Amino acid sequence: MKRRLEALVPVGLDPHTELRWFAIGMGVSALYSIKFLFSFFSVRGELLYQLKHLPLQDTQLLEMPHFWFFLDRAYLGFLLLALCMPAVALFHYLYHYQGSRSIYLMRRLPDRWELLRRCIALPLCGALAALLTGLLITLLWAGIYLLATPRELLSPLWYL
Amino acid sequence: MLKLESVSKSYRGQIALQDVSLSLHKGEIVGLFGENGAGKTTLMSCILGYLPYTGEITLDGDPITRKNIARLSFATSVHSFFPSLTAAAHREFYEMHFPKFRKKRFEGLMDFFDLPMNRAAKQLSTGQQNQLEVILALSQGADYILMDEPFAGNDIFNREDFYKVLSGILEPEETVVISTHLIEEIQNFIGRALLLRQGQLIGDKSIEELEAEGKDLVQFVKESYHYRADRVSRALDGFASPERPDAPEN
Repeated sequence: MKRRLEALVPVGLDPHTELRWFAIGMGVSALYSIKFLFSFFSVRGELLYQLKHLPLQDTQLLEMPHFWFFLDRAYLGFLLLALCMPAVALFHYLYHYQGSRSIYLMRRLPDRWELLRRCIALPLCGALAALLTGLLITLLWAGIYLLATPRELLSPLWYL
Repeated sequence: MLKLESVSKSYRGQIALQDVSLSLHKGEIVGLFGENGAGKTTLMSCILGYLPYTGEITLDGDPITRKNIARLSFATSVHSFFPSLTAAAHREFYEMHFPKFRKKRFEGLMDFFDLPMNRAAKQLSTGQQNQLEVILALSQGADYILMDEPFAGNDIFNREDFYKVLSGILEPEETVVISTHLIEEIQNFIGRALLLRQGQLIGDKSIEELEAEGKDLVQFVKESYHYRADRVSRALDGFASPERPDAPEN
């Protein structure tokens, strides 16, 4: 496994250090996205309280704000993480100029993809993983929004 | 045969190589000489495909591509090894990428120069780093070994050892092109001298031809460069006379 990972970063670079930083980025992004749950459940609690205590004719006006209102760029961390990945690829390329010009060796390898693979493989996987996680978390929040919102509070738009 | 035909290269209008044509045959040991900025490094970079150029460079009639690039190796004074890798890890990397890697030669040379196998390249002295760089180029299994001032930083004993080892280990089909300023040192080791000046090939002679003409390499270089032996004394005279009233008159 270690060997496989090492083949995806510039020769001599520790892939685990990069993966550790990526994991930290993902963790921070996930924490940031949890703000959705806080704002959603706080509004939901308030609406449920009103639903229980207001006269029936007044409750018909109650409506849960739209999903996007709560989402409020909760996926931003993942997006930023994905946007950092081209910089990581650039760092990988420039790494071949650090301490020597190993770029000369990399550029004359018979395998034409070796340099490209070592520069972009991890950043590309990282960008895809971040975007995919951002998308999955958005879907998860949408699922929670739909399941946790009482039907009578859901906007009719959700039934279209 | 490595053949260059009308190879030219310029950087933003500044000519670095101009219409260079030459052929390098199997088994030759060629010295590439010229002042700083003459185009030696540029010439090697063009051969290795690091720089775009005009003209044609072929290896046994074929353009140099990924298919035949392993037939060329390169040692440079700026080093092309991986600084954080040990020599053993370099051996592994080369074995993986160059099918003709000469493991026995690599180990023999490492042993001869007493280089540590398990120390990162960046922890070696400059001289040892140069040695590792050259050992890797010699062990890659290439037919054409290009060396760009590989001994900068090595002491004289080290360099002499290298010349001796080099002439001892090379096989008849291996060609070495070595760019250096150490003309006197290398003249007994090479079979042919190429001379570049301002991007142009101004001299191409075998050592045999020079010997037949009764010249040595230094003379050949000086003549080709129109070197004026009196230029230092003339310059010193020029510096001294107008500004030093106490300077003795000639």
